This record gives sequence, structure tokens and C-alpha cells, in this order.
Amino acid sequence: MAEANVIKPDLEFVKKIMNSGGESLKKCYQCATCSVVCNVTPEDKPFPRKEMIQAQWGLKDKLFSNPDIWLCHQCSDCTAYCPRGAKPGEVLGAIRKLSIEHYAFPSFLGKAVGDPKYLLGLLAVPVVIFLTVLGYLGHLRIPEGEISYAEKFMPVLAVEAIFIAAALFACLGFFAGVVRYWRDLKSGAELSTNKWQRMVKGPIPVIIINTILEFMTHRRFQKCEVTKDRSNAHMFVFFGFAGLAIAAVWALVYLYGYEFFGIKTSGIFNFGLSPYPLHDPMKIFANISALALFAGILQVIMNRKNNAEKAGNGSYYDWLFISIILTIVTTGILSEVLRLADIAALAYPVYFIHLVFVFFLFAYAPFSKMAHMAYRTTALVFAKYSGREDKKYS
Amino acid sequence: MAHEMSGAPVSGILVVGGGISGITTALEAAEVGHEVFIVEKNPYLGGRVAQLYKYFPKLCPPACGLEINFQRIKKNRNVKYFTLTEVEKISGAPGNYDVTLKETPGYVNSNCTCCGKCAEACDVEIPNEFNFGMDKTKAAYLPHEMAFPQRYVLHPSILGTSAAQKCKDACQYNAIDLDMKPKTFTLKVASIVWATGWNPYDAKKIDNLSFGKVKNVITNIMMERLAAPNGPTKGKIVRPSDGKAVQNIAFVQCAGSRDENHLPFCSYICCLASLKQTTYIREANPKSKATIFYIDLRTPGRYEKFYKKVKADTNVSFVKGKVAKIEEDASTGDVLVTVEDTLAGKKLHEKFDMVVLAAGMEPSTSAVKVPGNAKYDENNFVISGEILSTGCVRKPCDVMSSGQTATGAALKAIQMLGRR
Repeated sequence: MAEANVIKPDLEFVKKIMNSGGESLKKCYQCATCSVVCNVTPEDKPFPRKEMIQAQWGLKDKLFSNPDIWLCHQCSDCTAYCPRGAKPGEVLGAIRKLSIEHYAFPSFLGKAVGDPKYLLGLLAVPVVIFLTVLGYLGHLRIPEGEISYAEKFMPVLAVEAIFIAAALFACLGFFAGVVRYWRDLKSGAELSTNKWQRMVKGPIPVIIINTILEFMTHRRFQKCEVTKDRSNAHMFVFFGFAGLAIAAVWALVYLYGYEFFGIKTSGIFNFGLSPYPLHDPMKIFANISALALFAGILQVIMNRKNNAEKAGNGSYYDWLFISIILTIVTTGILSEVLRLADIAALAYPVYFIHLVFVFFLFAYAPFSKMAHMAYRTTALVFAKYSGREDKKYS
Repeated sequence: MAHEMSGAPVSGILVVGGGISGITTALEAAEVGHEVFIVEKNPYLGGRVAQLYKYFPKLCPPACGLEINFQRIKKNRNVKYFTLTEVEKISGAPGNYDVTLKETPGYVNSNCTCCGKCAEACDVEIPNEFNFGMDKTKAAYLPHEMAFPQRYVLHPSILGTSAAQKCKDACQYNAIDLDMKPKTFTLKVASIVWATGWNPYDAKKIDNLSFGKVKNVITNIMMERLAAPNGPTKGKIVRPSDGKAVQNIAFVQCAGSRDENHLPFCSYICCLASLKQTTYIREANPKSKATIFYIDLRTPGRYEKFYKKVKADTNVSFVKGKVAKIEEDASTGDVLVTVEDTLAGKKLHEKFDMVVLAAGMEPSTSAVKVPGNAKYDENNFVISGEILSTGCVRKPCDVMSSGQTATGAALKAIQMLGRR
């Protein structure tokens, strides 16, 4: 303790947290009820009490160069028991949002996604892209006859080109963000004198597999008490998405298996161009996944409404992400239903909206709450790698 | 006693609540010549103070102060008191109130000499309310040793049974009257002072602190009875589950206070009460250790000296952090406490023989409102207005501040006498 430790409060950062859903931050009086009622916090330097005081002082680097904010699943046990209404769960959510923004590449998109001012601008990008393509193809009107999105409206090749570009863009963003985050985590750990940050628990690939298995089972998430149903809802959304991703690849196999290898319908599998018949296994699988996603996201919304009193109302950032998913899944299901019902005047516009929102989700994934999947994974892997996670969870 | 005061000039002061605040208000007014009525719902005067083992910071027993006050009441013809009585209705305005009072029977009249024969003869036991149910008492009982008036009461639950008859037969002084009925009467007074004090916050509502589930978790007011020589264990500090002498005790501060899920305000006395209670255990069991878990210790004014005195005892330790989880070690009955030591940034899981919850004060008016035109703050404390208030029903306070607010209330009550 030879040198004085001068703390420089970053008041701008404090304001940012307060404007991102953590407005109750300053009510905290450091009683540490939160650290005790939390079922997923470590024994040593437990969160979220220390995050609350770091946030009150605006100690951005301490908050970011640490896996703890991502070890929290915002189950709101802390918020429910908080004697002051300081809502630690909401505050940590706000810090996570700012962390995503901090590591965002390109950084202006990090700010734009978190700010309602830019919502229309962000939506305009896919709208313009898809309108341009449709204009170029001369498809800027409702096609006649039997509905076929691929043949008469938006060719598969165009869809794929646009989405692969969006996905690559997102991957680049994720890669840049995660690399920088990992670097900060390591430097944070090196600066620290705590022994937990020095105990390496095993080879990273093993840890990554463990972490993914943990996600599949929602083992950590299920330790939350106040908002127990959230982990179930999240499970539906998670597997709904996973199922749809598998179905998308499956559909590509059908398409290119036919186009490049000339495979025709074999057995129950209908190779060829979409739409596929309802009895096709891929179609059944995709429809079940879509329904799971729909049920999950509805439950997420209902849980949020029911828990609002105890857990807080959530921020713009939370609701933007929920709304995007809800829009995607409803327009997706409606596109199919309207096509089958042969209501062309509605089917094509709905499908258009669907494409716009899927693009939104893909292209802006590293900047929206979707980014939690990358940063939480990184944080959990680091936590296991550095020994930050308690044995009981690793 | 002539209960009907109608026709008399309206000059009296009604003090509702016969605890230290009410008694002080009454005596301050009576001793400068005003007629005062004290109404008390218990069979005895003295209120919560009568239940305390010692006062802080002097660590003297409250019995001596109460004794002096009871003498002052006895010697002053201006003070009349009604025990086992509650206010039913208030009408009128300052300067001219009509108050309806209801007296419930205690089934013992003023012939009682406290010989105790009725209790000997009684074969029914009831939980001892004065000791928060930690022991039992006969259904014919003196509420506590120091009870004023010194008079036994019969618990209404035995009425009409052979036990009641046995008590009556055992009494040589014709003091037991099983035919007593509730009585309603009215008083005309010029001013009313509400002094109904406080109730300990119901610690069962703080579910994570497990009061009522873990046997060796008690509240601070229970600790007062446990330490008192006239308490359930005759002053031995032993734990409820197995009677083992308590050697390692924890005090959990802000149990329900400063908590918007329970009592949002600071109850003012709990820090001092816990500091005081560490001296109880250190004195009773010299090898004992005590730990106080706190958010911040509040020892206003001169009480800081008391804190320093307790802190000088190396067997008393202080941990900054609020206990938020209490569990029972089923095999030993020990109490497991989880807390984050916020200065060290570590979660602690500690084991204690017994845990005392420093439960807060809830104004009695949270449960029972003033049956008249009273004003309340957002936490149900009575704000002095047309109906005056004093002591812990007015704000959370210690005995000293109760005395101060009582003197102020007496003056205001006297000032109201001039109004017509």
C-alpha cells in the first residue's frame, strides 16, 4: 500500500448506465443482500454488490475487464430482495449492454443499435437492399397465380447472397469484439492479485465444450429462483433458434442436392426448390422449431410482464431484441400460413417484412442483445479457464 | 371509581397508552395541576420498557425508573388510569372531546393482595405473552413481577371451566369475580395524546432470515426477556432448541428495517440494542463470542462512546455486510449464516449457537388505527395534529427521546385546554 490508489470516477459512464436501464443504480447502499441471495455468484469477490459500487463510481474498466457481468443471468433474485429498490439485476443488464457497445466493431453500430433514435435508419438498410433487388428483378408488385416466394418474388440466390453477406459482416463484428474482450479479460486477470484468476482449469477446447453443454441444459440459468420460468422460456427460444438453423441447412441440402447433384425426391425427403410439402421431415422439423420459438418468445414477454414489479420493466435494448424475434417468428409463420391460404396480397408484404427483420437480426447481431451469446460464452469460458467459476458449476 | 365524567367542566387530558411515553406525558401534565387519564390495553402500565432487561447506554435496569414513575402516579390525585381498556370512539374537537372507552374484564378486583393462591390452584397453563411465548404461565397470573397495578388477572380462555372456579375458591379475599362483564364508558376531555408505542416487526415476514423456521433464531426483544432475571430462563442465556448455554452468538442488524420490502425506515434503536445485548451475553457467559453483522452502525450523539466501549471487547467482532440467508444445521441445531463481508469481498458461511435478529419497530398504528381524526405519515406513524402523539407511535425512538417527546406532548396538551 505504498502508493495511493486514486480512483477517477467517470461520471459520463455513470449517466450512460442510468440511461440504459440502470436508473436505480444510485439507490444502492452496499448492504450485500444481493451477493448472498444470488445462486450463481462465486464465493470470492461475489457479484453484484461490487459491480454496484463500481458502477456508482463509473469504473468502466473494472466492470468490463472481468467475466462477472456475464456470469449473471439476470434472474432478478437480487432485485427482488434488494432493500432499496436499486435493482442490481437491471443495472448489470445495462452494464452488459454498454459492454456490447464498448466492444462493438464498427463502433458506431454499437451505439446505434442501443439508441431508439437510430431504429428507423437501421431498418432502412435492409428495406433499401431488398427493394433494390426487387426493383432490379422487376418484382415490385404482387405476383399473380400460386404463391411462390422463391420463384416469383425473391430468388433463393439473392436471399442467400444478402444473408451470407450479413452473416459474414456479423461474424467479423463478433470476432473483433470477442478478441478484444478476451484480451481485456486476460489483462484484467494479470493485474489482479487474486488467486482465482491464476488457476487454469484445463485446455480451452474442453472448457468450450463444457460451456456449450452447460448452455444446452441451462444448468446455470436454472439456479435462478425469483424468475424461474425465464429459464424455461429461454430454453424454448434457444432450441427454437437452433432447430431453425438446422432446418435452414437442411433446406440448402435439398436445394443444392437437386441443383448440383441432381438428387430428386428420395423416399420421404423432397429434394428440389422450395416450397416443400408439409409432410416433408424437414418441413415438420422447421414448423415445430418455429412454434417452439413462438411459444418461447411469448413466454418471455409474459414472464417479463408478470415479473415487472419484482424484476423491473426492462430497457429499450431488451425490448428491441424481444420485438425483433417476435416479429421474425410471427411474420415467418404468417408467410407460410398466408401462402397456404393463397392470400397473395398479404403473403408477399408479410414475407418482405420477415426478410427485413431477419436481416436486422443477422447483420446487427454483434450489437444487439443477440451478442450475449458470444460474450456470455467468452466470459464463461474465461471464467472456467481462469478458475473464476466455482467448482460446482464447471 | 366514577367513570361517568359528563357534566364536569372539560379540562382533562386523555393519554392513550401507559408505556414510558404515556406515563411521562401524564405525569408532566398532572404535576403542574391538570387532570389526566391514562388508558392502557394491557393489565399493567410500563409498556415495552417493562420488558427490557437493561437500558442503554447506562446499562441500568428499567425497573427503577418505572418504580419512581409508579410512585408519582400513586401520589398524584390528578392521574387516573384504566388498565385493560381501549379507546373505541373519539368525537368532538380539541378543547371538547367525547371519548368512548371499553374495559375488558380481568376477573380480579381491587381486593387482590397478590398472594398467588389462585395461580397455585389453577391447573391450566397458557403461553406467557410477556415473554413472547418463550415459557408458560398459569391462566391465573400476575403479568410480571413488577406489574402495576399489582393485581392478578384471569385469562378469558378459562372462563366457565372448572379451573376458573378453582381459582375463585382458592381466593381468600373475595377478589375473583367471574361475573365481570366488559364495560363501556365515556370521558370528556380537552386534549388527547396518542402514546400507544410500537410492536416488534413480525420477523416471519423476512422469509430469508428464517425466523420461526430455524429454532435458534430469536428477535432482539426476545433477547431482552431471555437475559432478564425475571424472564423465561431466569436470566440464563441459553438457546431455545436444547437449553445449551450460548457461547457464540450473531446479531443481524436491519432485520426488516431500512428495507422497502418491509419497514423502509431506520428503527433507530436496533444498533444500540444489539451493542447493549453483546454485554448481556458477555456477562452471562464469560467465554462467549459475539458478532454483529451490519450495513452501517448508527450510534447517534453520545452513543458513539457506548459503541467504542463495546468495540474494546475483543470477543465482540463486527462484520460489514447484511445477513441475507439463515439456515439450520439439522444435526446440531446450530444456525448457519451467509453474508458477504463487504470489506474483504468474500462470502462467509458462519455457524452460531444462536442468532438474534435486530428486528425493527412498527408503530402500533400499523395494526390498529386511532378511532378519530389522526394524521399519519407514509409509515403509519401518527403526526401530532388535532390528536397529539408521542414516543414510538410518533417516530422510532429510544427511551430518552420518548421522554423528551412526552414532555413536548404534555405542553401541547395543556395548551389545548384553553380552546373551546
